[in-house]
Amino acid sequence: MDLYDSRGGVLAVIEECFSAEEQEEQEEADEEMTVTRNQLQEKVVEMENFAGHLEEIFLTVEENFGRREQHLEQHYADVLQTLSARYDQRAARLGQDKKSQLEVLYGQLLGCGRTLDSSKELIETAQGIYRSQDKRLFLKVIEEFAKEEMDLTLSTALELNTPEDDLSDVKTMMDSISVVPAPSAPVINPQMANSATQTSLRVRWNLFSDDTVEFYELFYRLVLEDMPADNTHGTDVCKVKVKETHCRVTDLLPNAQYELWVMATNTTGISPASEKALYMTVPSPPAIKERGCSSCPEAALIRWDSGNNNPVDSYTVEITEMDTHGAQCGAAEWIVAVAACQCLVQLQQDRRYMVTVRAVNIGGPSERSHPLGVSTTGTLFHLLEDTAHPCLSISEDGFTMFYGDEELPLSALAFDDNNFARCVAVLGDLLPVRGQHYWEVEVDDYTEFRVGIAYEDTNRNAYLGATNSSWCMRHILTPTRHKYEFLHDGWSPDLRITVNPVRLGVALDYDGGTLSFYNVELEQHLYTFHCHFQSYVHPCFALDNPGALTVHNSMEAPGYTMT
Amino acid sequence: MALTQVSSNKCAGGYQKVFEHDSLELQCKMKFAVYLPPKAESDKCPVFYWLSGLTCTEQNFITKAGAQQAAADNGIIIVAPDTSPRGCGIEGEDESWDFGTGAGFYVDATQEPWTTNYRMYSYITDELPKLINNNFAADPDRMSISGHSMGGHGALVCTLRNPGKYKAVSAFAPICNPIQCPWGQKAFAGYLGADKSTWEAYDATALAASYEGPKLDILIDQGGDDQFLSSSQLLPDHLIAACSAKKIPVVFRRQPGYDHSYFFIYSFMSDHIKHHAKYLNA
Repeated sequence: MDLYDSRGGVLAVIEECFSAEEQEEQEEADEEMTVTRNQLQEKVVEMENFAGHLEEIFLTVEENFGRREQHLEQHYADVLQTLSARYDQRAARLGQDKKSQLEVLYGQLLGCGRTLDSSKELIETAQGIYRSQDKRLFLKVIEEFAKEEMDLTLSTALELNTPEDDLSDVKTMMDSISVVPAPSAPVINPQMANSATQTSLRVRWNLFSDDTVEFYELFYRLVLEDMPADNTHGTDVCKVKVKETHCRVTDLLPNAQYELWVMATNTTGISPASEKALYMTVPSPPAIKERGCSSCPEAALIRWDSGNNNPVDSYTVEITEMDTHGAQCGAAEWIVAVAACQCLVQLQQDRRYMVTVRAVNIGGPSERSHPLGVSTTGTLFHLLEDTAHPCLSISEDGFTMFYGDEELPLSALAFDDNNFARCVAVLGDLLPVRGQHYWEVEVDDYTEFRVGIAYEDTNRNAYLGATNSSWCMRHILTPTRHKYEFLHDGWSPDLRITVNPVRLGVALDYDGGTLSFYNVELEQHLYTFHCHFQSYVHPCFALDNPGALTVHNSMEAPGYTMT
Repeated sequence: MALTQVSSNKCAGGYQKVFEHDSLELQCKMKFAVYLPPKAESDKCPVFYWLSGLTCTEQNFITKAGAQQAAADNGIIIVAPDTSPRGCGIEGEDESWDFGTGAGFYVDATQEPWTTNYRMYSYITDELPKLINNNFAADPDRMSISGHSMGGHGALVCTLRNPGKYKAVSAFAPICNPIQCPWGQKAFAGYLGADKSTWEAYDATALAASYEGPKLDILIDQGGDDQFLSSSQLLPDHLIAACSAKKIPVVFRRQPGYDHSYFFIYSFMSDHIKHHAKYLNA
């Protein structure tokens, strides 16, 4: 019975496993389906757009044809009218010619008749004479008669005189049917949102509807900030030939302004240039400075390099909460119109975030910067190396400082106003947030150190703890023992610690006005300063003899440090 | 083990009470003070035992130290017993202020005529905790101990002799090395006899040097203008040296200008309650 039961139990477990697996598979399939569906939806939208475009083109073509037909008909009518006028004119002239010629011929005919009559008389006379027997007289008369020559040729030509007609104007008219006027100047559109990338611009323009255009020439030229506006020789003009009324210009510089204009061309000629439009490419993505970023449980300070040589309009910071597996959870939060290359963002405690930055100009936002992971379990800060005493060297990871044995030559001791000049010290870049901060410091038994906090403007010529602008725990090696001081304004309580801490916990509580020190290994409270901190403080670290000291941060404050 | 309530006063939201009972260890009537924080009305609370110094009764601490508010805030019961058996009729009991009545030194006497009654060590470490755990909302697994002067010596000795019994320990101006100071020598000679080797069982410095047990975290405050410090009754340096050698964590704070009085105790009481609360409420 027991065996049976346990087997049943096993089966149930296996079933459960299978169902879990199935569920997992189901989930995967669901996810895939969602992806595919999204892709398909995108395609559908694209196709709808495409169909819309086609329809638009169809309508335009149809309209153009209609207009062209009308145009041709008009032209044809004009030519016919001209020809018919010419015909009438010509016919009238011919009729007139014919009439005058007929008149001439009629005259001639009349003359001929008269000649015939006189000839008839003459013949009758001759016959009379012949009959008179006087042959001699007859001959005489005949001779005279014979001498008279008759003009029998036609006085007019048989053909009508039709001069060659000048049809060149008609020919021009006929020719002009196939000739279109040169286009007028196109109208270039202003830059549209999201039409630019880092290296390209999408430009659009319009033509006048009556124009026929074979192709366009788009001219563009980089506009330099320091160049006078009317200088046209500053940069090279480039040209692209396109058939459409839009064009993507590529290979451009990021975050740069371009001047663009268009000319239209057809068989007849070239249009005047359009107005000049100014377009702008989007900036290069900024680069987040990991070493410049700090965080605490309530906020993070993000700093970045612009990534662009010329100024951009603003930056957009995008914050996304991540789950423990590094996947995005929750909606992204945007902070827009950030003017400087840094931004303090308010966050929730004990979370993980991914932060990216974009640079923005009128052309639009850049690509995202490389992301920065931010954890709000503890306080993270980096050392401000520009405050470090020249004898202090900082490790590559930025968290360990060394004070070497060897004496540096004076020439190597280059100080400026920000360097600690007496105390071999460095400040940490703590976030300016009034809350609770915790960090740890690893030391060894034989290192003389000062660990604490200081106001940012603490005297660089004073030792930490010697003035009222710094608070520190100091470790001093005496010949007989380890001595610890908790110094502020040059005064320390008389305090003895029996176990030398090798890992110090430092807890700063702005609201409680306390700075506490702990021996982390023992969870032992060592000392608490009570002070109302007037302004923001920075962690500070100093080495009083050669040695090393390592800062550990980004860790959750242990429970025993909570007051 | 019947308790008789002697007094009860509302204090800091809770109650400051005094009880009397017949002590089996001490064979006499004993009084002790107990402060019950508001939290004790509903939950079991940890107990902080306070051992007073020479000449004191259960009254000194509760009237002068000002510990009740901090105890209320941290949900801690404070138990302050008397410093010795009283009215036992032993000859010489009341002759001097630093031996006998009011000066039990938290030892179990081995010398007559003190053996019957002067068993303050067992009373503090055994009888009293049982009494408290049985009669109040006390969590038997969370107790800590502190004291002043002779009581500081008692607190350190109880802790060092019973590793793990007390979650936390602290002291104000404790007699750190009684076998080396006049008070201790007089008391130990009287209660424990001439054999000095038996004294070490009640000497914090000696006990520290041989301590084996869970990690301690000892907080000691010492007034800088304490007349008994300068007259070498307290000898904190001896204890610090022993603890340093043995790596027993001690934070010893020498508070400049403070003397041996309850004015000094009052000034740093809340630090001590906080120190105890850190371990009692962990």
